[in-house]
Amino acid sequence: MADAQFDSALDLLRRLNPRDTKSNLQAITTIVPDLTEDLLSSVDQPLEIRRCPQTNRDYLLCDYNRDGDSYRSPWSNEFDPPLEDGTVPSERVRKLEVAANESFDVYRELYYEGGVGSVYFWDLDDGFAGVILLKKGVTPGSQSSGEWDSIHVFEATDRARMSHYKLTSTVILHLANKTEALGDMDLSGNMTRQVEVDLPVESDASHVANVGRLVEDMELKMRNLLQEVYFGKAKDVVGELRSLGPLSDANRDRETQREMIMSMQK
Amino acid sequence: MASTVELASSFIEGAPPGELADVVADVQALTEGEDIIPSLLPAFKRYNEAQLATVKLPGSSQEVIVSGFNELEDNRYFDPESQTSFEVDHTTQTASGAQSYALESEHVDLIKSLLKSFGVHAREHYPNCSYGVYPMENDTVIAIVLVANRYSPNNFWNGRFRAIYQFPVSSSSSTLTGNIHVDVHYYEDGNVALNTTKPVNISVPSVSAESIVSRIAAAERDYQEALNRAFVQTSEGVFKGLRRQLPITRQKVEWEKVGGYRLGQDISGGKGR
Repeated sequence: MADAQFDSALDLLRRLNPRDTKSNLQAITTIVPDLTEDLLSSVDQPLEIRRCPQTNRDYLLCDYNRDGDSYRSPWSNEFDPPLEDGTVPSERVRKLEVAANESFDVYRELYYEGGVGSVYFWDLDDGFAGVILLKKGVTPGSQSSGEWDSIHVFEATDRARMSHYKLTSTVILHLANKTEALGDMDLSGNMTRQVEVDLPVESDASHVANVGRLVEDMELKMRNLLQEVYFGKAKDVVGELRSLGPLSDANRDRETQREMIMSMQK
Repeated sequence: MASTVELASSFIEGAPPGELADVVADVQALTEGEDIIPSLLPAFKRYNEAQLATVKLPGSSQEVIVSGFNELEDNRYFDPESQTSFEVDHTTQTASGAQSYALESEHVDLIKSLLKSFGVHAREHYPNCSYGVYPMENDTVIAIVLVANRYSPNNFWNGRFRAIYQFPVSSSSSTLTGNIHVDVHYYEDGNVALNTTKPVNISVPSVSAESIVSRIAAAERDYQEALNRAFVQTSEGVFKGLRRQLPITRQKVEWEKVGGYRLGQDISGGKGR
């Protein structure tokens, strides 16, 4: 029955207001404490920022850089609060992680022109896996605000001179607006997409470029999708609820058009 | 710590348009073994009244509103247009025990002409709606209420438009106050919600059905236009400010040239810089 409860929990979180995912998640795990671990690792929430005490740089927190109550900084590879035996990647994978952080820092500046990013890698038996996190918030006027969180989780499985990549990407986008004419408008949510592909690997450096391109293409796709759903679909549904023009005119137009088509078919 | 009933009640009251039954099924699965539904009755009632739930009158296809404005006594409501009162099962959103009901108000004529004018307005702009006009607060205030729903679960979207207005009928001129709410849910491979609240405050020069309904019609049109503009402005403002579609150079990232690794570099030698 636990599987069915897990599915119901995910279904519920997909229906209730995405602005309240954190409190709804807490409520569900209060009712069914056994689901806590599984839900925390499969439900994406807006990322929290922490400052690395060693390097004085900001980094992002998620389940993948957490060990107990401590989080590992991608800049120093140290846990905060400090841990004696915290889980860190192998030397090879840590080198890749450092390189990916440098590359995605450039990517973040080019596309986000600010914000915070962090990349975490970990070892797998037949390859490695990682998560690329990007976060940016804007408050252009006191009355409007926006927050973007990207969470890209991938697995790279070794094949002969190739690697199999599986990428699952979620973007959480919260937008709020308030004016006299508009009142309060809140447009919030998250969308998830997956892609799987085999790509050639010459050396470890290829991994960073392969993952980089995968994430870049995925974010472009998702940005277009978010634009379509948030500003196109939502507006269309409002138009389905209420017609700006009188419906009798619209019906008359449709009737006229129908008659025209009928007469042309004669 | 909040109790299971309190938490489950908040889920019921947070159900998006047209998805109450799905939320109820999830709540039942999460609280398996408990017969929780009876203890959620107050939450169902609050949800129905706040969301202006509609029920079919027994033996009729007409959908009438359930709200805090037309409740007679426990779970019994009235509809002035069909002059009927009915009992509501809040858990199943069904009506029973219909009886004829004569409106008790000094303003019966005004209410009847408001129903007529507002009905014309509603049918002109809402393809699928229910509305009601009710006397309240000891017959000193009139409430005008409208709900329009469109559900398309096969395409993973549902929407609801609610408008709630009140005005005192004691004097010749009056001020109409209320709120318009739009809730849209889109949930294909994700969960996206639009939730809006627009407070309405309009002075009405004379308390006549025509003048009140024409002010309402203008306010609703202005609001929909403002909302349509806000979609465009948010898309071109805040959204663009979060993430560019392409870097300012209009070129994608040259991954081989950025960061610590160069293609072909021997990684065992470290970064070499």
